[in-house]
Amino acid sequence: MNHYTFNDLYVGQREEFSVTVTENMLSSFRAVTGDVNPLHTDDAFAQAYNYPQHVVYGLLTTSFLSTLTGVYLPGERCLIQSVEVKFPKPVFVGDELLVVGTVAELHESVRQLVLKVEIMRRGVRVLKGTMRLGVLEG
Amino acid sequence: MTRAEVYEKLNKVFQDVFDDETITVHDETTSEDIEDWDSLEHINLVVAVENEFDVDFNMGEVNKMKNVGEMVDIILQRAEG
Repeated sequence: MNHYTFNDLYVGQREEFSVTVTENMLSSFRAVTGDVNPLHTDDAFAQAYNYPQHVVYGLLTTSFLSTLTGVYLPGERCLIQSVEVKFPKPVFVGDELLVVGTVAELHESVRQLVLKVEIMRRGVRVLKGTMRLGVLEG
Repeated sequence: MTRAEVYEKLNKVFQDVFDDETITVHDETTSEDIEDWDSLEHINLVVAVENEFDVDFNMGEVNKMKNVGEMVDIILQRAEG
């Protein structure tokens, strides 16, 4: 867990971590959300749409941004204000993802950090976006 | 920059932030006048204004602003400075 204060942050600052997506993660996500869409559960269904196997939920991949910001950058003082993401490529079970955040803007007047985020799989970008984060005082 | 020129740009910023092309602001406009102007949109608004006018407000200024006119006053002070 990182403990960056607003004054510790600078434009260009970067944090990253790796995570491998497991079938158990999909099951847990399904249990929480109730999303039983067959694209995420049924290989045959997914293959009918030219995917090699069932596809990982885009919002499961996105959920790693919670870890990126709440644990790494800025860490414990994080308050997520908005998330904008795109999914240029699908993610599959077994993929090792590199989750990366880079500070793009700092607005001291409102203690806001704008973070460019991306998630890569072996050099291929599977998620890109922008998060706006409040940095709590203290 | 004249006060009218500031308002011309500022109206566009408000319209973009609140996604409403009918918004026109003036000196007495406050958060009470725009339905979606809550604390989170206030943060987005301040950042959008800072980016549009290339100014940095300080935290004290943001907390003290009572209406749009006071925001315009600060923008004009910065432009003169």
